[in-house]
This record gives sequence, structure tokens and C-alpha cells, in this order.
Amino acid sequence: MHEEWSHTLLQSDPMRFYRAKRDRLHQAVTSKYTILGFISSGTYGRVYKAQSLEPDGQIHAIKKFKPDKEGDVVTYTGISQSAIREIALNREISHENVVALKEVILEDKSIYMVFEYAEHDFLQVIHHYSQTLRIQIASQVLKSLIYQLLNGLVYLHSAHILHRDLKPANILITASGVVKIGDLGLARLIYQPLQPLFAGDKVVVTIWYRAPELLLGAKHYNKAVDCWAVGCVFAELASLRPIFKGEEAKLDSKKNVPFQRDQLLKIFEVLGTPTEKDWSGLKDMPEYQNMKRLDTYPNRLAEWCQTRIRSQQGYDLIRQLFAYDPDKRLTAKEALAHKWFQEDLRPTRNVFFPVSAHHLPPQRRITQDEAPSMMGMPAPTQAQTLSQVAPGHGQAQGQHLSQQSQVNLSQQSKPGSTASFGSVSGGAVGSFSGGQGGSARKKPRIG
Amino acid sequence: MATDFWASSHYKRWIVDRATLKESRSDDLQYVDDPEYLDFFAIFFANVITKLGKKLNFRQRVIATAIVFFRRFYIKNSYCETDPFIVIAACCYVAGKAEESPVHIKNMVAEARLFFSQQPYGVKYFPSDNSKLAEMEFYLVADLECDLTVFHPYRTLLSICKKESSNDLQTEAGEVGVGVDDGPRYWGSGDGQLELPDDAFQLAWSIINDTYRSDLCLLYPPHLLAITALYLAVVLHGPTRELLQQQSHSVEVTPVHSSPRRSSRQSSSTSLGHAKKPSQDFVAFFAELNISMPLVATIAQEIISLYTLWERYLEDSDLVDSAKSAFHGHAQAQLGASHSGVSTPVENLDDAQRPHGATPTFLLQVLMRMRENRLSDMALASSGRPVAVNKMLERTQAAG
Repeated sequence: MHEEWSHTLLQSDPMRFYRAKRDRLHQAVTSKYTILGFISSGTYGRVYKAQSLEPDGQIHAIKKFKPDKEGDVVTYTGISQSAIREIALNREISHENVVALKEVILEDKSIYMVFEYAEHDFLQVIHHYSQTLRIQIASQVLKSLIYQLLNGLVYLHSAHILHRDLKPANILITASGVVKIGDLGLARLIYQPLQPLFAGDKVVVTIWYRAPELLLGAKHYNKAVDCWAVGCVFAELASLRPIFKGEEAKLDSKKNVPFQRDQLLKIFEVLGTPTEKDWSGLKDMPEYQNMKRLDTYPNRLAEWCQTRIRSQQGYDLIRQLFAYDPDKRLTAKEALAHKWFQEDLRPTRNVFFPVSAHHLPPQRRITQDEAPSMMGMPAPTQAQTLSQVAPGHGQAQGQHLSQQSQVNLSQQSKPGSTASFGSVSGGAVGSFSGGQGGSARKKPRIG
Repeated sequence: MATDFWASSHYKRWIVDRATLKESRSDDLQYVDDPEYLDFFAIFFANVITKLGKKLNFRQRVIATAIVFFRRFYIKNSYCETDPFIVIAACCYVAGKAEESPVHIKNMVAEARLFFSQQPYGVKYFPSDNSKLAEMEFYLVADLECDLTVFHPYRTLLSICKKESSNDLQTEAGEVGVGVDDGPRYWGSGDGQLELPDDAFQLAWSIINDTYRSDLCLLYPPHLLAITALYLAVVLHGPTRELLQQQSHSVEVTPVHSSPRRSSRQSSSTSLGHAKKPSQDFVAFFAELNISMPLVATIAQEIISLYTLWERYLEDSDLVDSAKSAFHGHAQAQLGASHSGVSTPVENLDDAQRPHGATPTFLLQVLMRMRENRLSDMALASSGRPVAVNKMLERTQAAG
């Protein structure tokens, strides 16, 4: 008798007992962490600041991937490729200059990635200097930031991981001044790939940080794209604004990648128009003919660096990171060994070591009003004490939101990689307006 | 590091010992008449995954990753409490993504439903609802502890072998030559590559495919499996074995042009080190590897045991990429004769004492009975009535 009903049950809901057992053993996110507040959001989901309920009471950033929805009903539609990548890569890596993943919790159709918390990020530091302090970043601090960034990148590259989305918003700094590369949502292993890189993601790297070979339509690219992005970040820290702030040509309705005319012009205006002497593979680039139609420019990088970097060696480093030919571009390892880092004043382990206390960037702003309704609400009193709003900080955020909305990804890649949890220090400023933010604002690139 | 095996999640968390494996089957052992059926399950389900993987146009490495996920899942779970077909579909779905060869969930559900509904499986209940598979994916990824990067022996094989022919073998489903890059070997060894005739290389490749029909991928690091496969291939491959015997008979005398390997060697680039040695010494090559040869011998025995078991597993169509036929019948004899290093021959099988072979249909019946009994027991246990007889206890008592 019982065999009949058990047979029926096994046919109608074959995994019922398995699920019951797993659910019984599951430890809920809210049983392990107190949510202190909301940090930022993007198309991928939201990031919260949270405190562990373990005795150590460690602070964490919890990235919650947006649950899939069919209409209004939250349902399972499969974990995205980018979430799988980010999880899989983070489980294998461990380095002081890469954000550490503490654990992943799969609960109630959502994925929660629990990361070590970082108080600051490069974008926030740039805002702090440009808007609040209105001074340049001291060259020793600049050197430390780039040194640690390169140190983390050497590690990723030695593990055959391409980051593919390096930009100020994705590079974090802990309260103790240690640089942490974050957001591996677009990162990929390039060791013995079963699929060529371009097959998965048509467009990689936020436009302002995108290497010329990508802009010219190269199908094969390598670690050098990350090194170009480091050059851009370096320049941005030095000048407190993006060095190549081009306008992105959007994918057309058929998802064809358009020619990125404006972005290339922004690069040429500083670095000069590339020639075959600089880059022997140039004429083989798919967009070569389009490129030839652009106006030509001389190289003005030395001039650009004069007031901004103020060091011959610093100029030499950035010059080599901006080599047009990916094969001639400095690798992360070579860059780390560059003379600039050996000349005084040398990089420090705490990047803020030379910074006086009143010049330190403010704590990351967290908010309660973007109610973390999907997670249990914390006790408001506790959360409010932790929320510190720096004067003038909110303004800065508004101006730079455009940067977050610049990434334009193919459907397969995760749209959310735009903003890591470090990207927006004040999440309440406004929600992203669909990728058009950057276009309206044009600023002079040089001078 | 994603390319450093010793720092990987695979090495740190997913190489287990036999005791752990035994423990993981303890519930199943209470419901199965013969523990050997569980070993047949290992072959059967690996075949199911391989066939489904082929339907999905998966490369061998993706299939291998799916099988490893499946085995890792069953370290923590029991056959009698789960539905392996749903688990298989989820393993393939996640493996596709983990190996950057994603399949859309709709296609995954459609392919799995169609394939499982056919004979011999006849699974009619596979849910057509995408969300059921996605839900299983969630549980699976949690059970896998989010460790989705899997190392496979293929990489080692490619890194230590220089193939005789320069062009890639199509029979390997194009695996060779795909981004074989400058990555360091993740296990220490002597330098230089082993030169191998194409068919011997192919044999080693197929032996590696076959190791996934057992728990070997949970027990040993992939590079040891690769070296063992290579070792078996060298021993089993006729011309190579002859060469090996020549070498062992006259260490001083270098083989002359009689070897088929010689002619092609001359066309390939000759490094300085090789210039002095006209032919490679296989024994020396293995000896120079920084690995435990007794362990390799142990693994070799386990692979041979797998083939012995597999002989009695009856499935209508055999898989083309298996090395099973190379071992058919005379594997033990060849091994015993050709290399004294393997001192223990495979235990003598007395066919009369063994239960008969298993077919997929039979195994599916076994599985369904196990699951029904388990379900009944759980229901009865909660109602306070006596539970069904514990098969493991029964066997122990019968054995005295």
C-alpha cells in the first residue's frame, strides 16, 4: 500500500525530501548578519553594509543579486553567467589587494555574496580631492594607490584572470589604507578557454577605460586591456578627472557593436594618432578603415603629464601603460618593477600614511531610506549611529553618477558589473537612469 | 589561484578519502541489496551525463566537470533521498556556465526532458517548468559550496605529452590545441615532454574519460590520474610497449631504426638534451616525475578494477571515446607481463561467485525501490511504526 503513494510522490515531487532537509539545515542571512544599511545599487542588485553576529562583529559588504522576476512573481530563472563567474573565481583567489569573499549564501531565490568591507574606493577619493579638498593627491599617495593596484593585478594575471572592468569605482580601499580590487563580475579565466573570449561578451570594460584594441574591434585581446585601464586610473587619480572621457556609441537594435569614434578621438587628442610604427597590427584591426577617416593628432602626453604627474619616472610609467600596441604595453609585473616605485617617496602599505587626519576621505555613506525591504530591517537606532554623511559629499556623487552608467554590456554579460558595492558612496542620491547620464555632459579633456 | 592546483578549492576541499566516501553511502547501503549496485550507479550515471552532454554539444571538459559536480553532490547526499536525473540536469546546467559554455535554461530543460523520457530511462516526470531546474541549481551550488572551478587530468596530459603528429586530433573533439598556453605545470616534475605516438596519446585520453565512471576523481589529484592513464597507455599500446621492453632489456643499447617512433622523431625539432639520446626512456621519464610511483600503481589497479566491473555492466551502445575495449579481457595479462612494477595482479575473479551484470533498466528499478523504501521508512518512522529491514544489517548478520 505505502509503495503506491510513495511511488506517486516520487513522480510528482521527486526532490521533496531533499529540499526539506536542505531547508532545515539552512542558516538564514539574517541569522548571521545584521544589516546596517544600504550602500549602493545597480542593475545587478544591491549592496548592503552588514555586521556579523559572530563574536568578532566584523563589518561586511553583502552584495545581493537581484532576484529574477517573471511579472511580479519572484521566481528562479537560473543563476546568471556573471554571477557564476564572480562566485567561481572568488572562491579560488586570495590576495591582500583583492577583495576577499567570505561566503556565499543562497537563500529564498537570491544570492548573497558576503565580502570583506572596504570603507573607501578610488572614485570616492577622487571626488574627495576634487570637490572637498580641492587639491591634488600627493604624489606618494598616488604612488601607493597605483602600486597596490598593480600588485593585486599581478596576482590576478598570474592566476590567468582578466578583470575586464577596472575603473575607479571598482577599486576599493580599506579604512587601514589597503587597496582592494573588487567586482570580478566581468572577470574571466583565460587559461585554456573552451570558448574564445569575444564569444561571450561583446563589449567589455567601461568605455573611458577601454583599451584601443577593443575600441578598434579586436577579437582577441589579453591581459594588456587591464593594464591600459590601470593607465587610465593612474591618469584620473593624477588629474582628478577621467583622462579619456568619450561618449559611448550605443549598440544598435541588432546588438552590433558600433565604431567608438568619440572615445578614440579623446585618446588620440592626448596620445596622438597611432601609426603602424607604434603598432604593427594596427592595419589588421577590424575598425582600421573607420579609424583612418578620423583627424590626426600629435602626441601630447608629455605636456599632459607636466603639471599633473610632475615626475619624469611617473610620466615614463604612464607612457608605457599607454602603449598602443598591446604587445609593447607594460605588463602588470613590469609596471610593478618600474623605477617610479623605487624612487623617493616610496609607496606605503597604508596608502593614507602621509595624509593628515582632517584630509582623510569620509566614511562610506549608508542609507536607510532605500529600505532594504528584501532583507530584515535592522534596529534603526543602531544603524543611524553608523551612518555618517560628509558635507558636500552628496553633491559630488550626483556629478559622477554618469560614470556608473557608462558601461554598456551585451546581454550575456552582467549589466550590473557597472557599479561594484564601492561605486556609489551615497546610494540615496538617485537611481541610475538607464545609461544615458554620461552623454549630456561634455567636458574639456585637456587643460 | 585559479591555475595553482595546490591553492585551489579542488585540492583543499574536494579530495576525500575512502572512509568519507563510504560514510557518504551509509544511507544508501541500508536500502540496497548488493553494495556493488552502487558502483554500477557510478558507471551508469556518468554515462547518462556523458550522453546528455553530447546532446548539448558539450566538450569533454564540460562533461567531466558535470560528472565531478555530480559526484561531489553525492558525497553529501544519498541516492535514496534524491532524484539523480534532476541532479544530472542541474550539474550539466551549472557545468556549462562554469566552463564558459552556457546553455540556455529552456534548452537545458527541453533536452533533458526529451533525453530522459527515452528508453532505457523512461523518466516521465522531469519537470517542464524552468524554475524547477533553476531551483535545483540553487541547491546544487550551495551543496557544492560554490566551488565551481574543477581541475581535470586532461590538462596534465597535454602539458607532459608531445604528440608525434603536429596537427590536432579531431577524435579528441578538438580539445587539443585549444589555448594550451604557457601556464606552469602545477605539480613538480622533471623537465621535458614525453613523446608519444598519436594512438597511445589517444588511449591515455580515453582512459582519463573512463576514470569519471568511478569515484577516482574524488580520491586523487587530477595530475596523478593523468600520469596513471599515461602509464597504462604506454604499457597497453603495442608498439610503445615493445620499445619499453627493449629499453628494459638493454639499457645501454639505444634502440635502432626498427622503432616506428624513430622516423617521426627526426622530423620533429630536436632539443639539445634529446640530441644525445636517440630515443626517450619511458621508465626514466616516469621515474623523474616528482610523484609517488607506488601511488600510481595503486591508481592503476583501481582503474583496472573499474574496467573489470564495467565488463559486467551491460548497456546497449558503448561509448566511442572509451578505452574500455583496450582492456577487454586481456588487460590484466598485458599488465602482468609487461611491467613488473605492478606487482599485484588484479584479484582473480571467480565469475560464479559474482552477481550477474547490471543493465540500466535493472539499476533504475533498484534505484526506484531504494527511494520508495526510504520514503516509506521516513513516513513510518514519524508515525512510530516499525521501519523496513536494514539491508546492511541483514547482510552483516547473514555473513555471520
